Amino acid sequence: MRSLGLDPVADTRATFRALCDAMSRPGTIQAVPTDPADHAVVATLVDHEVSLSTADTELREKLASHGRLDDAEPETADIVHTHGVPTWNVADLTRGTLVEPSEGATVIYRVDGLSADADADLDLTTITLSGPGIPDTRSVAVGLPTEELDAITATQSTYPRGVEAIFTAGDRLLAVPRSVSMEVA
Amino acid sequence: MTETEPPTTGQTVSTDSVDAVLDSLDGDDGLDGYNYAYLDEHTKREVRRSILKAIAIPGHQVPYASRPMPLARGWGTGGIQASLSILGPDDTFKVIDQGSDESVNAANIRRLASDTADVETTTDTTDADVIQTRHRIPEEVLTDDQILVLQVPITDALRKVDSSDAANRRRHAHKNYGKMWVHLYENVVEFGEINIAARYPTMVGGRYLMDPSPIPRWDVPKLDDADNLFVFAAGREARIYAVPPHTSVEPLAFEDRTFQVERFPDQSCQACGSTDTYLTEIETDDRDRQYVCNDTSFCLKRQDSEELPKDYHLDREGVDWGPGTPDDEKSATPEATVDSHGGDAE
Repeated sequence: MRSLGLDPVADTRATFRALCDAMSRPGTIQAVPTDPADHAVVATLVDHEVSLSTADTELREKLASHGRLDDAEPETADIVHTHGVPTWNVADLTRGTLVEPSEGATVIYRVDGLSADADADLDLTTITLSGPGIPDTRSVAVGLPTEELDAITATQSTYPRGVEAIFTAGDRLLAVPRSVSMEVA
Repeated sequence: MTETEPPTTGQTVSTDSVDAVLDSLDGDDGLDGYNYAYLDEHTKREVRRSILKAIAIPGHQVPYASRPMPLARGWGTGGIQASLSILGPDDTFKVIDQGSDESVNAANIRRLASDTADVETTTDTTDADVIQTRHRIPEEVLTDDQILVLQVPITDALRKVDSSDAANRRRHAHKNYGKMWVHLYENVVEFGEINIAARYPTMVGGRYLMDPSPIPRWDVPKLDDADNLFVFAAGREARIYAVPPHTSVEPLAFEDRTFQVERFPDQSCQACGSTDTYLTEIETDDRDRQYVCNDTSFCLKRQDSEELPKDYHLDREGVDWGPGTPDDEKSATPEATVDSHGGDAE
């Protein structure tokens, strides 16, 4: 995806490794090679094999010009992308089935900020994570309102059905897979 | 056709040997036109999406489109696809085949990665960023900077109690593992203990029963609360699953018939003298039976330094890394019975 400013081989591989680290160590903030990180994540994961829902016109155009946009409504899309608080309800996204929970959606939120220092910024909401990938607990601050984070928590209550949330800000990202429990402060 | 006529099809090669033909091929010429890390980007995206979902649902087998590779399925194609999707030019890559860096399969996989993905290769576990392995987890403690990619022949632990994949997927959906418990019980009735040599059924994160691939029981405790990520990839069965770091992995066992690792009473490695490593029995030319370390790269280090601990490369001591490491000794059983190999070994 050179049109998005990414090297299609090296940068997508580096973005994948950041996602791998973020997903296996939920709540840790990882760096990707290009800014904005949400574009890098979409370019790394999306092609015509998975459906995408996004209102980001630049992403839609660039993906379509590569034949990699399989457009879908948020409720049926495999990968869902939003800037900030979405117009749809995260609880309505596809969560997969009990037999194949991996069909649950991956939700990419571009947020205002991420901070490893959970008490640093009053505009951010602190979440405390526990579960696979986390020794004891891990706290981190995310630039989304409490209600949206609560809605994500509620969506994961049907584990192993659920969604993966990826929060990005600038060239940073963190992930909250469905396997971890999230407490919103 | 008379003897003097050349063959009408094919091409005659006017060199003395296969080696000469190989020598005549110039370096990297054969790799022109291949993408970085051999796989095309479309394939990598597919594998990567599945790896991420596998990490997010620890122990669940995620299907993926396993591609044809330049070797037959069943020879590590799943592991190769996972490794090549993970590797980048800043990585150091190690490949082991049942503890050995030098098997033909391991050497060729390492060469494919170094030729196409431009990675450094190593045989030293502590130097590697990504380790692809068949049927072993290294003796040296893995760290949070490392990823272990395990080759998997059979993805489902339930396969040994029911051959129907559809039925087993329903069992996983509902966490219905009764049939496996019955299998373990029948083992106890028949043999007095659970007699599964490899592919020991383990519960991941309290939710999914997982086949840890044909690692010996010795290696199973290393999966629990590890610092590193484990990725299990099967090429033939087209499934990927994972155990993230700091995830509970518990071998199935009964309260009164506990999980036991292999025991090597009164044996030590003939090469390095170790008594706290997984040993392999070998037969010498004069029909003697000897035990040697299975992890050859650690054995070489032990030959130089007898008392080298398995966590020598870390800045903390007493790391729990399965049998023979400090935290495990409190749970080790004092009884020493000769290990019997069950019928389930690969």
